[in-house]
Amino acid sequence: MRKEVISSYQLFAMIVLFEFGTALVVPIGLESGHAVWVSILMALPGGIILYLIYNYLYLEFPTMNISGYTQKILGKYIGWTLSLLYIPVLLFNGSRNLREAGDLLIAASYDQTPVFIINSMMVIAVMYTLYKGIEVFARSAEIYFFVIILMGLICNFVVIAAGLVDLKNLFPLHSKDWKDALASAYPNILIFPFGELVCFTTIFPHFNKSHKARRAGVMAIVLSGLLLCFTHAIEIAVLGENIYSRSTFPIFTTITLVNLANFIQRLDALVILALVVGVFFKMSIYCYAVMSVTADLFKVREIRNLTLPVGIVVLFSSIVSAESYPVHMDEGKVFLKYILPILCAVIPLLLVIVHYIRKKFGLYR
Amino acid sequence: MRVKWILRSVIYFVMLSLLTSCWNSRELGELGIVSGFGIDKGPNKDEYRVTFQVVNPSATATSTGASKNHPPVTIYSSTDTTVFGALRKTSKKAARQLFFAHTQLVVIGESLARSGINDIFDVFERSHELRLNSLVLVSRDADAASILKVILPIESLPAMGIVKKNKNTAGVWGENRDVNIFELINGITGESDFVISGVRINGDEQEGMKLSNLDQTEVKALVVMSGLGVFKDGKLVDWMDGPKARGTVWVQDKIKETSINIDYKNKKKSVSVDINLSKTKVKVKIREGIPVFDIHIKEKGIVNETKSFVDLSKGDEILKLEVSLAEQTKKEVTQAVETAQRMQTDIFNFANELKRTNPKAWKSVEKDWPALFAKGKLNVHIDAYIRSTGMRLKPYLKENSK
Repeated sequence: MRKEVISSYQLFAMIVLFEFGTALVVPIGLESGHAVWVSILMALPGGIILYLIYNYLYLEFPTMNISGYTQKILGKYIGWTLSLLYIPVLLFNGSRNLREAGDLLIAASYDQTPVFIINSMMVIAVMYTLYKGIEVFARSAEIYFFVIILMGLICNFVVIAAGLVDLKNLFPLHSKDWKDALASAYPNILIFPFGELVCFTTIFPHFNKSHKARRAGVMAIVLSGLLLCFTHAIEIAVLGENIYSRSTFPIFTTITLVNLANFIQRLDALVILALVVGVFFKMSIYCYAVMSVTADLFKVREIRNLTLPVGIVVLFSSIVSAESYPVHMDEGKVFLKYILPILCAVIPLLLVIVHYIRKKFGLYR
Repeated sequence: MRVKWILRSVIYFVMLSLLTSCWNSRELGELGIVSGFGIDKGPNKDEYRVTFQVVNPSATATSTGASKNHPPVTIYSSTDTTVFGALRKTSKKAARQLFFAHTQLVVIGESLARSGINDIFDVFERSHELRLNSLVLVSRDADAASILKVILPIESLPAMGIVKKNKNTAGVWGENRDVNIFELINGITGESDFVISGVRINGDEQEGMKLSNLDQTEVKALVVMSGLGVFKDGKLVDWMDGPKARGTVWVQDKIKETSINIDYKNKKKSVSVDINLSKTKVKVKIREGIPVFDIHIKEKGIVNETKSFVDLSKGDEILKLEVSLAEQTKKEVTQAVETAQRMQTDIFNFANELKRTNPKAWKSVEKDWPALFAKGKLNVHIDAYIRSTGMRLKPYLKENSK
């Protein structure tokens, strides 16, 4: 089989879409009140450092994904066991994204439709794309990058033009706000959405110009971080801290308030579209990461054959994992606090340190 | 190959379910579009009487006014302990399922307003159909249901007519506010109190319900905007009218355009100035335990009418008018704040402003804010400018004419 390749622009588009996935829609970093936008900016340098860690590992082992070099660095047995951890966690995280999208769609307009139907449609789309291969997926990211940016521009423009933004909701920032912002930036916002980029360790091996991965990735992270910061700042400026923190999907409430000249109104469809596109890419990358790690660990030759099982597990765990949206949110908090940081930051950092030591003292055979 | 075949057949089978597609479909012909919404106190304790103004499609289909045979809307009322319960109970009376995405108006009955409205807005926030930017009004000397029943001239949909009336008067006269549910929820959750525009029926309510109400040039019943309802802890305590209402709107920085009559020499209120630009800045400080409110208003206007001789071609005379304009504005603003202080209701967002700019000071006064607010000192500073005198300089009146 021909090796699939991804260009640096495609990588850029994929990272941006991945970051937007759900972070654009759900309220993030609630601890920091009206200073959420500051905490996103604070988490941005951390996100770049995390990316550089993934990138360093990739440059050291350009043909392997995360499970490959974990086994190389930590030895076969420890490495294999640690890599196995990634499968359930990434699967669960992918299914959480699906659940959030399904719940917003139901809350926003499809109140009669069962969540199973909505989720399965999204999973079918994901499975179809992944079955066609990562290259096809990367090319579609190239197109949707423009679609998302265009929709974002329209949404932000109408919200500002409608005169809804009240900067009083953002300023002033007192010393307590700065502290809260820092507390929610590390580790919460650092991990979600930036730390989740650990999935890209499985996509890097398909990249054709390895020396360009760093630049494309850092640019994508900076762009997506700034846009996330801007969007959340606008949401708070429009809604105020109180409504922002109580709403399940603040961006949706923001956009329903738009009424430009009694003519441009009810733009909710744009937000839902942005969410569906974002979740599609985020979920696909999660699924691909799971497939890639599984194929590597269990020596599956044809990675495509894993599409169906992974898709079905994601679909069912999205429904079974939580009985209601509040429970889902609670689970998310625990997951974000205790499990994700280990996989997104601790293990890669450990790998870098061990690899560095082994390389320096010539401990590789 | 076998795996591929199984995969394919499963995918095709699931895709088959896509073909049904319209799971959530609702046909336009099966919806009862609700244009306005009224909430009154129910007959029993803790019950609401919710009134719906539903559009009558056959009567509003033509663009050139309603057909003569049917009223443009029909009214349903239901009582229940929750708003949503009443909404669904109405299905017993309505042939079509009520649809709320086009609801523009929510009227709250005066008696309900007096007993507290804080708990009725949750359904508006939670629902995806109801809009947070619908206008909220409080009925005055009438219940909400009767406001919705009156058929109005010119606008075929009464709820729409009321919304436009409020917008019109808030835009050019400034005694009313365009308060929507979103702002109200922020008002309830904030530290300050809030105001809602009042609406009343002038004339005979029974006549207003009939189509024959429109058969005359001067209708027998008309819905008119009337003052601002002042709410303290979510309960209506009093009404503000005339200059007090405008002063309130002025402090809240919501004046878009207004017309003010000012004194010239010994002639009282003889010059009409149209203010078309006004900006209010408020600063709240705590000095020796007592709040100080600094209100800074910048206004620009045009002289539109004088009843006596004013030599408007001279800059000095314009300056005199500007002084008089500033005085008049200051009077209205002071009157409004003093009235609110007497009621101990902070309707000007002063508490929110203090909390925002100085959270520490707010902590120290939080407990007895209403009493402190009433004691607060007021500094009003007004910059008034007259930019133009219209199409003429000197009026046609002679200097000494009577």
